[in-house]
Formats: sequence, structure tokens, C-alpha cells
Amino acid sequence: MNAILRWLFELAARLLRTLDWQLCLALAALMAIGLAVLYSAGGESTTLVLAQGARYALGFAALWALSRVPTHRLRNATPAAYVLTLVPLLLVLAIGTGRHGKHWIDLGVFYFQPAELLKLTLPMMAAWYLNSEPLPPRFRVVLVALGIIFVPTALILLQPDFGTAMLVVASGAFVLFLAGLSWWWFAAALGGLAAAAPAAWFWLLKPYQKDRILTFLDPESDPLGAGWNIIQSKIAIGAGGLTGKGWGEGSQSHLDYLPEHTTDFIFAVLSEEFGWMGVAVVLSLYLFVVGRCLWIAAEARDGYSRLLAGSLGLALFVYVIVNGGMISGLLPVVGVPMPLLSYGGTSAVSLLAGMGVVMAVRAHKPMHGH
Amino acid sequence: MRPRRRQLKSPAAEASQFRRRALLGFVLVVLALGGLGGWYYKLQVLDHAAYALQSEANRLKLRPVLPGRGLILDRKGRVLADNVPAYRLDVTPIDAGPPADWLPELRRIVALDEEDIADFQEAHRTGARFRPITLKPRVEPEEVARFAVDRWRFPGVELVPYLNRRYPHGPLLAHIIGYVGRVDEEDLKALGEADSAFTHVGKAGIERYYDDILRGRIGYEQVETNVEGRSLGTVGRVPAVPGTDIKLSIDLDLQRAMVAAFGDFDGSAVAVDPRTGEILAMVSLPSYDPNLFVNGISHTAYRALTSNPSRPLFNRNVLGGGPPGSTVKPFVGLAGLDSGLRTPQDKVLSTGEFHIPGQRRGYRDSHAHGHGWTDLRKSIAESVNTYYYQLALDMGIEAFAKWMHRYGFGERTGIDLVGENTGIVPSAEWKRAHRREPWYTGETVIAGIGQGFWKATALQLVRATSALADEGALRRLHLARERRDGYEAPWRAFPQPAPERISDNPAHIQAVREGMEMTMQPGGTAWYAAGRDLPYPMAGKTGTAQKVSRRGAVSVDPHQLPLALRHQAWFIGYAPADAPTIAVAVAVEHGGFGSSTAAPIARAVMDAWILGKRPQAPAVEDDTVSFDNVAGQVR
Repeated sequence: MNAILRWLFELAARLLRTLDWQLCLALAALMAIGLAVLYSAGGESTTLVLAQGARYALGFAALWALSRVPTHRLRNATPAAYVLTLVPLLLVLAIGTGRHGKHWIDLGVFYFQPAELLKLTLPMMAAWYLNSEPLPPRFRVVLVALGIIFVPTALILLQPDFGTAMLVVASGAFVLFLAGLSWWWFAAALGGLAAAAPAAWFWLLKPYQKDRILTFLDPESDPLGAGWNIIQSKIAIGAGGLTGKGWGEGSQSHLDYLPEHTTDFIFAVLSEEFGWMGVAVVLSLYLFVVGRCLWIAAEARDGYSRLLAGSLGLALFVYVIVNGGMISGLLPVVGVPMPLLSYGGTSAVSLLAGMGVVMAVRAHKPMHGH
Repeated sequence: MRPRRRQLKSPAAEASQFRRRALLGFVLVVLALGGLGGWYYKLQVLDHAAYALQSEANRLKLRPVLPGRGLILDRKGRVLADNVPAYRLDVTPIDAGPPADWLPELRRIVALDEEDIADFQEAHRTGARFRPITLKPRVEPEEVARFAVDRWRFPGVELVPYLNRRYPHGPLLAHIIGYVGRVDEEDLKALGEADSAFTHVGKAGIERYYDDILRGRIGYEQVETNVEGRSLGTVGRVPAVPGTDIKLSIDLDLQRAMVAAFGDFDGSAVAVDPRTGEILAMVSLPSYDPNLFVNGISHTAYRALTSNPSRPLFNRNVLGGGPPGSTVKPFVGLAGLDSGLRTPQDKVLSTGEFHIPGQRRGYRDSHAHGHGWTDLRKSIAESVNTYYYQLALDMGIEAFAKWMHRYGFGERTGIDLVGENTGIVPSAEWKRAHRREPWYTGETVIAGIGQGFWKATALQLVRATSALADEGALRRLHLARERRDGYEAPWRAFPQPAPERISDNPAHIQAVREGMEMTMQPGGTAWYAAGRDLPYPMAGKTGTAQKVSRRGAVSVDPHQLPLALRHQAWFIGYAPADAPTIAVAVAVEHGGFGSSTAAPIARAVMDAWILGKRPQAPAVEDDTVSFDNVAGQVR
């Protein structure tokens, strides 16, 4: 009996060996909070909670599986994975569906969002390429890396999906940043962005995107139209106060004043029901996750793992700042979910998979680097 | 190439560079998340009060609860104005979308005329998109049923139940009750913020005069509403206070009898209880159907009313008036007695023509050869002009005007209707002010027989007549008798001011009254028309006010002549003469002489009141309301 228990315990220990328990606890806390808020925001129905729970389970399975893959195998498979994930990205342009463009491929069982895969394979590819060159990267290397970032980004923009494209760019840019990219590049990027903004305004942006930016600049200009979402969201957040209205007591979401309150605006529901305390707790958890990823990256022995783990951690931060800023009127409206809180499958799975890679970095330290 | 690059790659340097960058990244993350947390702190803690307020404003809506408008009853408690459940069709533009998408479909289910649609389009262009616009104010029951089946096809189009004001007797009481109408910009200003939820206010008649008590007080429900405005439950409630019920002194049967007595004539009449000043019946003919105005009258119906030369919308009693003719003689006679210029026995010789000393122009009597020696009583009974020519001349126009004002001429009767006309008592002062001309003695002479610059209403005449009937007490005329504030509350009388006295000498009034009684007796001007077979003693006075002289036998349809050109046949009277319970004034437009048309109307009214005689003709059988009733036809 004892022996069986010990055997079981050892089996579990071996199976879970690759997991980083600190990261796991923080992620589990976020997911638990996410499910609790979702239960309230979804009108106290368990349907959404169960569906989301299933996605978390799937994501966690992916996390566990990826954490068991040694980083050198991952590194070796990187170029192939990168190219392979570009295929559905092309496919979605032909057969995709979605509200504002062609974002999803209907797989029968669920909708699959190919762009989500790039959130993982793009930083992998960038890290793979940069790691194969001496760092800090030379001019030509930077150009190639930018090319690696540019191809999928352009495909995602064609869908068009500005939010995901931005996250994908960010995850690639973080690799360059962590690889020691010269500050001149950042200055040049900022300058280029400023110069490109007017051009983008006239040729690139769709009318609904322009509306979002105009609304961000002045939400009161159309309080019943485009500005409505942000005004109601700010009311929800502000009405939460220090301690919140209480779980299930958020009138803004329960009376449908708050739009999209199970997805993009779920953090506003949390803010309304749990107040600034709840916000502070959740932001602290995110900070911990990001910090832990960077720590794991810094401890890694090879360049590829470092760059990958670091950029994945920083990418999570982008979600938080963009979503949290958008729903509180600090940034224009961009369709970026709050990681692990917003209802929706693909982003949760891809985020957890990314965390799995980070854990793999921690678990599989090669004896010697390149 | 490759080996060279290997040499250049320095793991230790790269690792330390990575750590620097990772640390820098982490610092930036801390700063950014800290900034985000700070921004949320500002929203949630520093600005909490403002957002909490907005959130509450979102959640709880004050929904006004309209009170039921007070009923209007006749003196016996019969309903003259009530509220009936009805439906209107409201459209919320933001939900309904462009009218082209649903309007053609909707027209197949609900009858909509071009006017409704034009009004709607106008409101749709100019109004707020989230505020409902009324497309059709009254939806028929079959349409309600049809729409209910198909309502899912018309988002934003809603059947709204409400209480509709109804005047079951239609035109019969239009000039008394008036009507309510939809609140317009001006009304909104007058109502103020607190009462802005009222949809209808009294626009005319009793409905207008007593609007502040009839409409009641708006109540409020604090309702939790979701974003679509759907109510999820009531949180708090301030009940509406229903409007005050008003019992008029009008007697519905007498009103009917009065209208019936007019037959085909235009004109006005008022019957009053001389003991109280209560108006028992009051008509201004032709009339109109007030139900047409409740939810906005159509342009065609309104044009029909306004283009009618008999002016159905014009309340002759309140706004009209004309020379009273010989009906002022009892009062001029009383003035002669009270001023000391005459005793009841003093006689004047009527020769058929009266001359102002030193003037050539003659003023005629109704008998070409005169009435002979005439005292006060005879002057009234036979309507002897010369008696009054001389009396007015002796009195002088200033004293004359003063006495006439004492009898209520040129003064408001105090009737509870808006806009009462004071009329005109001729005086040098009035003529100077309004005509910028000097006064001529001849005008004093004709003022004595109620001609010239006179303007009196039937209300003023009946009030003065009532004063004679009630021993000189000149009372405020009024329609509203009692009020009831809530169904359970007791009826309370409206307070009335104390009467004024028109004469200090009962013997003088008695003399005048005897003259008026003689009018109804053989030899009197109204004997043949109204005085024969009187089962009760009656007193009266006839009068005729000619506005244009009728030459030859040109027959004119009186209904087509403009009001200003119509001459009026007058009659005033009261009965029973010894203990009067009713006083009447009748003005018949184009009604020949006062004796022939006005007196029989007064007699019929008195018969109805005193003997309970109902009109035989089915004149006002159809006084239940039908909405396709065309305005101004029903008499």
C-alpha cells in the first residue's frame, strides 16, 4: 500500500517535474479569478464557466506537454514550426470567417485562430535566428529579423486583425530588445511610426479603426455611438471604488450597460465588483508572472532559451497594458483580451502554451551553451 | 564565413547583456503596470463618487406615473368628461431604423393617413433618435390585435396603452368643457420641469380653467432598467395623485333642451339659477366635437371648422357680444328710479318719434303712432323707446355708464372660463379712447335702448337679469359647483364671493319686475310668442340688435353671413316670476325680432327646468361619441 502510494507520488513528481510551481500558482490564481468574474459577468450561468474551464484544461495540457520538450529539440524544430504556422495564416485569408474580417477557420468543433500560433512561433523564430548570430545584432541581421517579423504581421494585417498583429510584432520586437538591439533602432522605429501614422490613416486603416481612434481622442463626441463602450466601461471601473460592489453585484454588466463584458471588457467587470483592491491583486499577479519569466530567462544557459522565455513574458505584459489601458480610456480600442481573464479559447491556450515553453526553459538547462 | 562568426559570439557577454536588458524590461514593466494601477486608482478611488453617481443613474430611472385626470360631471353626477383606455403607436427611431425599411410593411397592418406620416417624418428628422415619436395617436382595437401578432417584425415600434380623454356628449358641451390637447412647447414652459411628463393639458373651457386641479399630481417610480430601458423591477414609488373631480352646475337635460330649442338657429344662451349664480345650461351654436382635439385635430377637420362663417369654435358667450338692444331697458329703467330722475309712476308721452330739443333727426318708436303716455312698467312691457330716449338724455352718458357698470355691463361676470370679454358700455370716455371722436348727444339717446356703442354678452345679461330676480343680488356666474379630491373624499363646494347689490330700494326692483311680468301678458311684446298658456308666472324682456338694415325681401342664408353682420334677437327672463329658480338670456343670430325667436327658446328652457319637459325632437339623440364625426355639424 505504502509502496503503491510512494510509487504514485514518484510518478507524479516525475510527471510534474518540469513545471515551475511558482508560475503555476500565479497562473492558477489568475484563472480562478477569471472563472469567478466570468461566472458573474456571464449572468451567473455555469455554461460559460464550464466552457472556459475546458479551455483552461486544454491550455494546461499544452503547457504541461511543452514544458517537457527539451529546449534544444524546440530550437531544432523552430524554422519548420515557423514556416508551418504561416500556412494556416495564408489559408485563413481564403476560407476564414469573422466579424470584421477573416480571423477564424471553422474546424467544426471550434473556431481556430491561426494568428494565435504566431504568438509562439514568431518569437521562437526570431530567437532562433538572432541566437545563430553574434549579439548585439549587426545591421544586416536586424534587417533579416525584421523580415521574419514582417511576413506574418503583414498576413495578419490583411485579415485584418490589428490587435493580434500588434501583439505579434511586440513579441518579435521584445526578442530584438532582449538581444541587445541598438537604441538607434528604437529611435528610428519611433520616428518611422510618427512619419507613417498619417499614411496609415489615409490608406491603411479601416473606417471602424479610425472611429476607434477618434473615439479614444474624444469619447464624449458620440456618447451614444462609438464612445458608449468606453464611457460605460469607465463608469463600471470608477463605480467599483476601493473595495468594489461585490461579486455578482456589478450593475453595469448585469444590466448590459457594459459591452462585451465576458470578453474584452471583463477586466471592467472585475474592477466594478472587486474594486481597486481586486485590480491591484490581479496586476500584481501579472507582474509576478512577467517577472518570473524574465528571471527564468536570465537563469537560462543558452541564448535561444533566454530570448524566447524573456520575450514570452514581456508579451504577456503587452496584453495587460493594452487591454487595461483600452477599457479605462487610456489607449484606443484594440481587440486585445485580458490574458487568462477574458472569455475565449485561442488566446488562453496560446498563452498557457507560451508559459509551458518558459517552464521548459527552466526545466531543461543544457550543461553547456553553444 | 561560419567559423568566423562562431568566434565572434561571446556567450558570457551576451548573457550579461541579456540580464541588463531583462532588468531594464522588468523596470519598464513595473513602471507601466504601476502607472496602470495608478490610473485605476484615480478612476476608482479619487473619482469614485462621480462614477458611482453615473452608475446609479444608469441603473435607476425615475419613471413618471401619470395620474388619472379628474372627471367632469354634471350637477346630477352624470359624466361629461372621462378617461378611457386606448392605445397609441410609438416609434423609437434608433431601434426602428430608417422608416423606408418598415413603414410600408406597417401600413399594411395599421391604417396611417398621409398627415400622420408627414408629422412623423418631421419629428423623425428633427427629434432625438432614442426618444419615442407617436406615429398614430389612436389605434383601433382591430389594428391593435393585428399589430400584436406581427409586432416582432417591427422592432422599435410599440403599442403604448394610455388613458384617453373622452367627451361622451361631444358637441353638446364643447363650449363649456372645452378639451385637452397634446402638450406643446408653450405648455411645457408653463408646466415646468416637474410636470413635464404630462402628455395632455386643458386647452379650452373648464379643462383649461381648472387644469391645475384636474390634471392631478405626477407620481414617480424608481425603476431598475437595463440598457434597453426594459424595466427589471420597481425599487421605489411615489404614487400619482389623481386629478380632482369637478361637478358642474350644468344640468345635462337642460343643456339638451336648450340646444333643441334653438332648432336650426345659430346663437347663444345661458340659463342661471338666480339664487346662486350657478349656470344651469349654456350653449354657443354651432358647436364642435371636442374629441377631435384630444390627440391633435387633422388639418382638414380644422380647416372645416375655421372656414365655417358661423365660427363653431367661437364661444359667443365668453368671447362674443353685441348691442343688447331693448333688453337693457329694465336696467336703464331701474337706473332712472335709483338715480331719482323718475318714479315708477312718472309718465312720458310716446308719439312715435322722439327729437332731441333743437335737432331735426327723429328717433323712432316701434309703433309708428306711438304708445301714448307711458310709465315704467308699460315702457318695459311694450318696449317703448321714447321713455328711454328721454331717460338717457336726462341722465347724461356718464351717469348712464356708471349705472350700467353697477349692473355688471362692461364687467366680467367672473365665469370660470378663460378669456372672458368685458363687453362695452357706451361712454364719452370709451369713445374718446377707442374712436378718437367726440361724443354726440344722439349717441346718448340710442344708448338708452341698447344700441350704438354697446356690447354685451348673454352672460352679462343673464347675470343682471338674475340680480333682478334675486332681489338685487348680483352674483358671480360660475360653472364649477363642487370638487372632490380623490374618490373617497367628500364633495366640497367651490367658494363663491359675496354678491353685490344693484339697488338699495326693493320697491324699485319690484317695479321693474312687474314691467317684465307684463311683457309676458297680453299687450306685452312676448305674450304671443312665449307668454300664452303659461303654467307659471314668467317675466322677460325682448330685444333686437340690428347690425345692418335689411332692405327689401332679400333672403339671406343666416348660416352663411359673417357673424359681424348678423343681427341678434334677444330675450332675457326669469321664472317663476314670484320666486325665480331660473334666469335665461338668449341671443339668436338673424332670428328676426326678439319676441318671435328668442322668447320661445327661453320659454322652452324654462319649461324644461320648471316642468321637467324634455325636447320632443330627437335633436341630440346621438350624443355618444363617434370618431368619424365631422366637426361642427352636430347641433
